Amino acid sequence: MNLSQYMVIGRYIPGNSYIHLLDARSKLIFVFLYIFLVFLTNSILGYLILLSFIIIGILISKIPISYYVKGIMPIFLIILFTIILHLTTNKAGDLVFQWKWIEIYSQGIEQAVFITLRLLILVIIASMLTLTTSPIDLTMGLERILNPLKRVNLPIHELALMMSISLRFIPTLVDEADKIMKAQKARGANFETGPIHKRVINMIAIIIPLFISAFKRADELAIAMESRGYRGGEGRTRLRVSVFTWRDLLLLLIFSVLLITILSIRGL
Amino acid sequence: MKRKKSLNQAILISVMSAIAFIIQYFDFPLPFMPPFLKIDFSEIPALLIAIMFGPSAGIMVEFLKNTLHFIIKGSETGIPIGQMANFLAGTILILGTTLVYKKKSTKGGLILGLILGSISMAIVMSIANYYLILPFYEKMLNYSTTASEKLILIISGIGPFNIIKGIIITTLMVPIYSSLKPRLKIN
Repeated sequence: MNLSQYMVIGRYIPGNSYIHLLDARSKLIFVFLYIFLVFLTNSILGYLILLSFIIIGILISKIPISYYVKGIMPIFLIILFTIILHLTTNKAGDLVFQWKWIEIYSQGIEQAVFITLRLLILVIIASMLTLTTSPIDLTMGLERILNPLKRVNLPIHELALMMSISLRFIPTLVDEADKIMKAQKARGANFETGPIHKRVINMIAIIIPLFISAFKRADELAIAMESRGYRGGEGRTRLRVSVFTWRDLLLLLIFSVLLITILSIRGL
Repeated sequence: MKRKKSLNQAILISVMSAIAFIIQYFDFPLPFMPPFLKIDFSEIPALLIAIMFGPSAGIMVEFLKNTLHFIIKGSETGIPIGQMANFLAGTILILGTTLVYKKKSTKGGLILGLILGSISMAIVMSIANYYLILPFYEKMLNYSTTASEKLILIISGIGPFNIIKGIIITTLMVPIYSSLKPRLKIN
């Protein structure tokens, strides 16, 4: 068993599409507003519009559809469960289908379609964000969005720095854990068979060396940063600078059109 | 020298959050429990940090861990409700544990603290599920349940789940604490 095979860090697929090149800030804000829009919508027609918009997004992003399908898999059961729940318990509207004791009413079907569309839209838009934006860009985008909170003494820069350090260390520590696991197995440790409580207890043999090495690595990094003159967020320059371009302006326009459409459908 | 210490602390918190995230990544559902209640022991790095630097540093680990989880793994519904619930549970566990440990900084104090923390975690999470988390999912799925249905889910699912989680964390935390104790004091 190789730990790093089990764990593909992040789902980011590098690319060059319109969505990839958007500023991380605009993507984050857009997704946030889009989720808001999804809850504002109260008709199947509205959801169909939102869904077709997302399908266009999928095509533009030039990411194979299989990646989006992989994102849907975890909630597939929830969707199925909700459909069955609505079909069997909702007894409003006309009787559409009857077979022995199963009775399906029109309202039940409507609700099932409604919720399925809602969940699909939410999952796909969230996947689209993480598939087209690298975690480090997301962190930087969040830092820039939350920047005004510095005024109320929230340590936004430090938070973003800590996020980036964590992100950087995840693959390193996964490799480390893998190495420790193999070393302990070579000494006769057993992590794969036996009763579950025994297996959990055996995990201690991995966790303790992992913590010790984390202490060491943290010390080393602190010394390295100190010796290079790290002095906090004030006046620090960046390797990568994100700028607001025509792409982001276009996204803003698209969102306004969507908002107006949804609001007018709601009013009907 | 003051800055060096705080930088050290910030980096250790970040590295521990990465470990917590890795542990959380391999969560598993319990048998006989609803599948959305997944167990993991990613609170352990946060508890260690809380013992070293105080509860606010531990809560920081919880925050970073859940943010990483949301950024990398995403949320099933697009809104990080599961991550928020995990953050709340971890925060309560840390506060409960450090409350006792601060007064009695020994192995016994830690065990007592973990028991207090686990119990308060189970209670707070039951209340939060009743008033916040389950109503959120109801809205999400457009399906309303009665108060008694919610109570059954909480008594048979969420309460025992948090108690089991507390037991697992306690049984792992105590030996880890004993072997890391010299290290914790140096820092």
